[in-house]
Amino acid sequence: MAGKIIADTLEHSTAGSLDTQYVVNGSAKSWCNMNGTGTIAIRGSLNTTSITDNGTGDYSVTAVTAMTDTNYVCSSTSGQNSGDQISANNNLNGSLARTTSVVRTQCQRSTSDNALDCGVVETIRMGDLA
Amino acid sequence: MTQTPQFQGTHLFDRLCWAKKNLHGVQSDYRVVYEDSVDECAKILVPDPNWMACALQGGILPPVWVYHELAKDEAQPDFKKHTRGYLLHNTEPVEAMTEEEAIEYLIMKDCPEQVWKTYNKGNRQTMVICKKEQLPQSREWRNSWKISQVAA
Repeated sequence: MAGKIIADTLEHSTAGSLDTQYVVNGSAKSWCNMNGTGTIAIRGSLNTTSITDNGTGDYSVTAVTAMTDTNYVCSSTSGQNSGDQISANNNLNGSLARTTSVVRTQCQRSTSDNALDCGVVETIRMGDLA
Repeated sequence: MTQTPQFQGTHLFDRLCWAKKNLHGVQSDYRVVYEDSVDECAKILVPDPNWMACALQGGILPPVWVYHELAKDEAQPDFKKHTRGYLLHNTEPVEAMTEEEAIEYLIMKDCPEQVWKTYNKGNRQTMVICKKEQLPQSREWRNSWKISQVAA
């Protein structure tokens, strides 16, 4: 049966109470798991319109529902099987400042800063939606 | 076929959650290749399967002009935050699209405006829609890729 619970507070018998706005604000508003090698493709996502292959190890994820401003939190991780240590950074290039709907992630070898295509690239956004 | 609820006035994020639960993702074979800078390589736009399912279903996504209005707001030098987000949620959703219409919508939403407005007006074509199989199978020299003008 479909249903809806409308509540401002959740209360536990001993552990205290929690304002439900923390639950709403603390939920991911957008996430995307993609394969960044070959012809890049999305494995799973929420609130994503498209991904863009900008070049080696360089990807953009665009949201369907934009965030209300650019002060949201975005985290990206990446990995692949080569054994390289990889860092994934968001909007490294100042001229490509993040927008309310697009996050650009660049994957690099930690040891050399060389761009690298990754088999798994994951991006998650938290904050307020427009 | 799953019936879309009457979504006008429902937050767009809630509609997406409904779609993720009730619709099967559609992996499109279409890709959009574009060049937005002479100094950079060609970029490849890949549609999201859940979004494509929403586009084909109809009654979920806002019209593309809503995104253009929000982009105009965001381009203002004194932009702090969106104050017209209600356009996403309150504007009547678009009807079901074909896959080709969805790609056109996606281009107007996610490609830079100067690309889709002028892609065939200069010395070289700067945007093409192709099938996944038409892309190079190896990513060798990826940062040097340009649109083949023979293919375009």
